[in-house]
Amino acid sequence: MSELILQRRESRVFRELNAVVTIAARDILLSFKSPGSLIMMMAMPIVMMGMLGGSLAQNMAGGLGFNFGQYMLTGMLVNMLFMVTVMGMTSLVEDHTTDFTQEMMISPVSRYSIVIGKILGSSFGAIVSMAGTLIVGLIMGITLNFGQLLMILVLSPLMCLSAGALAMIIIGSIKSSKMANIAVMIIVMPQMFLSGAIIPITQSSGILLVLNRMMPMTYCLDLVRAVVYAGTPEYDSVVLFNPILNCAAIIALTVGCLIIGTYFFARSERKK
Amino acid sequence: MNAMIEVKELTKQYNKAKVPAVDHIDFSVEKGEFFAFLGPNGAGKTTTISILTTTLSKTSGSVLIAGYDAEKEARRVREKVGIIFQEPSLDPQLSAEENIRFHACLYGMVSYRPTFRMMPAAYRNRVLELAEIVGIQDALFKPIKKLSGGMRRKLEIIRSLIHTPDVLFLDEPSSGLDAVSRRSLWEYIDASRRANGTTVFLTTHYIDEAELVDKVCIINKGKIGIAGPPEEMKENLLKRELVLDAEDRGKLISELSHMGLTPQIGKHLIVPTGSRSAQEIIAGIGSKLTVLNVTEPSLEDAYVEYLIQEGGVAA
Repeated sequence: MSELILQRRESRVFRELNAVVTIAARDILLSFKSPGSLIMMMAMPIVMMGMLGGSLAQNMAGGLGFNFGQYMLTGMLVNMLFMVTVMGMTSLVEDHTTDFTQEMMISPVSRYSIVIGKILGSSFGAIVSMAGTLIVGLIMGITLNFGQLLMILVLSPLMCLSAGALAMIIIGSIKSSKMANIAVMIIVMPQMFLSGAIIPITQSSGILLVLNRMMPMTYCLDLVRAVVYAGTPEYDSVVLFNPILNCAAIIALTVGCLIIGTYFFARSERKK
Repeated sequence: MNAMIEVKELTKQYNKAKVPAVDHIDFSVEKGEFFAFLGPNGAGKTTTISILTTTLSKTSGSVLIAGYDAEKEARRVREKVGIIFQEPSLDPQLSAEENIRFHACLYGMVSYRPTFRMMPAAYRNRVLELAEIVGIQDALFKPIKKLSGGMRRKLEIIRSLIHTPDVLFLDEPSSGLDAVSRRSLWEYIDASRRANGTTVFLTTHYIDEAELVDKVCIINKGKIGIAGPPEEMKENLLKRELVLDAEDRGKLISELSHMGLTPQIGKHLIVPTGSRSAQEIIAGIGSKLTVLNVTEPSLEDAYVEYLIQEGGVAA
C-alpha cells in the first residue's frame, strides 16, 4: 500500500462549504451531460412568456394603468426561477431511486449542506430559463435596462433558495417520481397564479389574499418589481410592500421552509 | 477499552412491522478486528449495518462507533466510517472518477474542482494508484453505465477507502462478482486493513469469505445466536471425522469398536474422532486401509449446522 493518503481538512466551515459546492456542481455537471434538459429549460419561456403571457397581454391587459409587458416580464423571470428550481429539486427523488441519496446521507456533512447544495444545483437550470425568458421578452419588444438586470441577477440566488426551500417541504419526503411530478404542480401552479406573476393581485381578498400573503414568491416578485419600477410613476400601483418588508418575509419564509423541509428529508431517510 | 464498535441491547422495529427486525442484540468489535456478521436473508444484517452507519434510526439500545454515539454524534461517526452498500450507490450518469471525486470532496479530503486535471496532485495520484490496484484504470473516465457489475463494485471499494476510514462496513460486497474479481477484492481489502489498521465489519452470503476473519457473529430472526472466532465456532458446532474403509470392512469395524468408536456405515465408514486425535485412532487400526480421509469442518458447515439446530431460518 502506498503512503499517498489524503488528509481530511480540519476546518468544519470549509468542509460544509466544499460539500455545498460539490453537490451543486454535480447537478450542474449533470445538466451539461443532458443537453436535452438544457434545451427544454431554454424553451420553457417560449410557452410561459411567449404564449401564455403574450395571450394575456393582447386580450386582458387593457385598463391596468401600467405597461403590462414589463409587469409580465418581471413576473415571468421570477416565476421561471421558482418553477425550474422546484422542478430541479425532484432530482432528489431520482437520487433516492438510484440509491445515490445514501452516498450523501452517509457523508459527515450537515443535512442543511446537502439540501442547500441541491437547491443551488437546481438553480443553474433556473438561471438558464431566466436567460430564455429575457430572450423571448426581447423578441416581444419587452426589455429591462442593464442596472435592472444586474439587480435581478443579484437577487436570483435568494429567490432560488426560497423556491428550493419551499419545494423541500413536500419533495423532501417523497420517494416516487410520479408523486414528485404531482408535487411540482401543487407547488408551482398556486405560486404562479396567486402571487402576481402574470395576474395583478392588488384587488385580491378573502382566502386568496391569505394564500398570496403566505407564498414566498409573492414577496420575491414584489422585491424584484420594487427594483425594476423604482422611481417610476407606476411604482405605487405595481409594488405592494416596502422592500425591507419583502426581504424580511423572504428570509423568514425561506429559513422556516428550509428547517422544516430538511427535517422531513432527513427524517424520511432514517425513520422507517 | 479498545472497542471500535460497541452495540448494547440494540432493537429495531420497523413501522407497521409486528416483530422487531433486530431484537436486543449485543456485540462488540475491537480496533483493527476483521468481524463477520452472518445470517440468512431477513435475519437483520442490513438493518444492523444501517443503524451502525447512521442511515437508519434505532428503536432502542445503544450503539457506539469509535466511542461516538451513532444517534447523538452521527456526524462524528460518519467521519470514522466507510461503507459499501448492498445495493450499489453510484451515480450512473457520472464517470467512475467523477463518482470518486464527489465522495472525496464530500468528505472534505480535497477542494472541489470541475475537472480531474484541475484536482490537486495528491488526489490524482491516489485515484490513479487505487484504480491500478483494483484494475479499473482503463475504465476510470468511462460513464458508470458502461462498467460491468464487477468494475462498479471495485469502484465502490476505491470510493469507500479514499477517505481512509477507521471502520469499513461491507454489506455483501462480493455479491455478483466472479471468482477472480472476488479474490482481487479481498486481497485489496486485506492489504488495506493491514496497512491502515482498519476495522472491517462484513456481512456476506459467501461463508468461505468469513473463514479468515477474527470473529464471527451469527444472527438469525433478529437475535444473535453465537459469536466467536471461526475455529472456536467450528470446534463447538462440528466434530472432526475420519473417513475410512478397508478390504476387510468387518475387521475394521471391530477394531474401531474396541476403541469405543461407532462408525456411521455408508459408502465408506465415517468415524467421529471425539476427543482422540486422528493419528491416535489410525495407530490403533491393523486392517489394511483402502480409504483414509481426515475431514476438516468448514465454517459453512458450522453455520448450516447452527441454523439447523436453531430450527431453520427466518421467513
